[in-house]
Amino acid sequence: MKTRQWIGLVLGLTGLLLPWLVPLPGLSFPAQVTLAIFLLAAAFWLFEPVPIYTTSLLVIFLEVLLLSAEGPLFKLLRPPTVGPRATGVAGEYWVPAGSVGADQSLLVVKPAGGKERLRVERLAEEAGLVRVRAATLSTNSVVLARPDHWTAGYAAPGYATFFAAMADPIIILFLGGCLLADASVKYRLDRALTTLFLRPLGDNPRLIVLGLLVATATLSAFMSNTATTAMMMTVVLPLLAGLPARDPLRVTLVLAIPIGANIGGIATPIGTPPNAIALAALSRTGAGVSFGTWVLMALPVVGVTLGLSWLVLLKLYPPQTAALRLELGGGFERSGRALGLYAVFGLTALLWFTENQHGISSNIVAFLPVVALPMFGIVGKKEIHALPWDVFWLMAGGISLGTAIKSTGLAEWMVGQVNWTTLGGFAVVVGLAAASFLLANFLSHTVTVTLLAPLAVSVGSAVGRSAGFDLTTALVAVAVASSYGMTLPISTPPNAIAMGSGELQTPHLVRAGGLIGLAGMGWVVLLARFYWPWFAP
Amino acid sequence: MSRIYILCVEDEPEVLTAVVRDLAPFEEKFPIEAVSTAGEARRVVQEVILPRGKLGVVVCDHVLPGEDGVSFLVALQRDPRTASARKILLTAQAGLAATVQALNQAALKHYLAKPWQPDELRAVVRRQLTDFVLEQETDLYPYLTLLEAERLSEKIRQQPLPGDR
Repeated sequence: MKTRQWIGLVLGLTGLLLPWLVPLPGLSFPAQVTLAIFLLAAAFWLFEPVPIYTTSLLVIFLEVLLLSAEGPLFKLLRPPTVGPRATGVAGEYWVPAGSVGADQSLLVVKPAGGKERLRVERLAEEAGLVRVRAATLSTNSVVLARPDHWTAGYAAPGYATFFAAMADPIIILFLGGCLLADASVKYRLDRALTTLFLRPLGDNPRLIVLGLLVATATLSAFMSNTATTAMMMTVVLPLLAGLPARDPLRVTLVLAIPIGANIGGIATPIGTPPNAIALAALSRTGAGVSFGTWVLMALPVVGVTLGLSWLVLLKLYPPQTAALRLELGGGFERSGRALGLYAVFGLTALLWFTENQHGISSNIVAFLPVVALPMFGIVGKKEIHALPWDVFWLMAGGISLGTAIKSTGLAEWMVGQVNWTTLGGFAVVVGLAAASFLLANFLSHTVTVTLLAPLAVSVGSAVGRSAGFDLTTALVAVAVASSYGMTLPISTPPNAIAMGSGELQTPHLVRAGGLIGLAGMGWVVLLARFYWPWFAP
Repeated sequence: MSRIYILCVEDEPEVLTAVVRDLAPFEEKFPIEAVSTAGEARRVVQEVILPRGKLGVVVCDHVLPGEDGVSFLVALQRDPRTASARKILLTAQAGLAATVQALNQAALKHYLAKPWQPDELRAVVRRQLTDFVLEQETDLYPYLTLLEAERLSEKIRQQPLPGDR
């Protein structure tokens, strides 16, 4: 194991223990447990002592063990209880003094599970016992001996709540998207679309670069950025064979793919997992964003950044070759199954984009391809086994962590630690987006948004819209900014694939990716100020 | 990425020079080692190629001073470290027996008769390198520019689609 990984392991385990050893004032016990899990996950995601998706699985497991009603912590460590003693007068009982809270109430454990707060009338006190009057109490009742006990104030959810993150609607949305992508590659729909984009452009290298950017971004809006890059590399790299070894066009062509793919991922909720994590955080607060609305918010980002990327690439690495011959093979397949795919894809996309009109959630629509593609034999078990389950699980960990942070009250506590009202709402949005961009250059983009989304949501409830803070804007800005994190070879898998072709030097990527990312961030700030707030609920 | 070598064995210097010249386009990604005897070839495989990478393709003459080409190829086939190398015989004078032995015992992939056409030699080596890479390598992108892109692309498309992280 490398030093970095050891640091992560030690930090993570320390983080897990810290809230138990050093109880924080004002933080309930379950919230402290959640904080412990959060610290562990953050350290493990940052330093990767184990693969990031296994950290996500660990998060879910720890939540089930430490926060669910059925987990060992809340199952075995029950708070002490007592039975009220009869006084001889009907409706009046002796209970231990400590069991009556400051608000003159008892916590009664219900036979069916859960607790009920029961108001009582305090009559007398002697020898550590209190005589109370409460009509519904009986000697069979189970009363908490100490209502301020650390487990008392928390209604532990069933463990199914935490496992449910693995089939969260947003993951179903991705499942649908990934299966459509698998089928599209199987029936060469991606190649046919690329041909459709590039054929009209002739042999002008500058136009071909633009065509590649647009074609890659379009595919990437529906496929993962990484898969798009893998497919487009098989189109672009063979083109280089006919180019002089020193022509900068080689660099431009290879760079256009990861850049187009990273930017295209912004376009739709299914484009890349950070979008989904932001959407999941939004829907937890009740402010959902529809598929079509996301696309409307993202289109100016994608359009402008693509144009900008074109100019930057041609400026940095201007082509010397006057004409580039494209050998584009393959139109649209016309077999029955391919036609079936077009129908399912077309219908799904149509229903996604018109969500605002018909009101049926895009998450539900996404199950249409999941059902239809295997049912009609368009994909088989091979494609289902080949789905990126690690990515689904990575997302699930982030989603369930967000749920726990919200439901245990950790979110409110985090807000209370900073006097947010002294900051302007817009400054907070810009700060979050900048943090996202910086982190995403070094970290998994999904992890970046997973760590920042709870912050954004917390700030949202503290600052409120009065101070010019709009949660939708903040989360969209965080997700978009993470996609701009494409400066280094390690920033994103598409960059790694492009570097792996052997045609690029790291400075090529850093110069182009850094310039486009920084310029994109400027554009994000403008959109966050003037455009995205229009979509606030 | 470990380097994949092309080894040329030919005793006549002008012929060896011609082979290396014809294969020059591959040298960008596949270093070429040129030797004139089987003994020298064995030493280069042991001391140069195997410590740094893999032996991908051998282009070998049959009639050589000392050990002949075919028995050298058979020896390569018996060594597990070089068994996967694609063997090409480039010769004018390999008899039927030697050729049959090369086919049966050295898994000969191609028999090219002298004199050869440069384009033909390149096509043969390109096909054999592509086969080697398809069989031995997991990362295929570096080879899309030089080798048979169509077949490499197809393999990439058959692999599970990677997701973002």
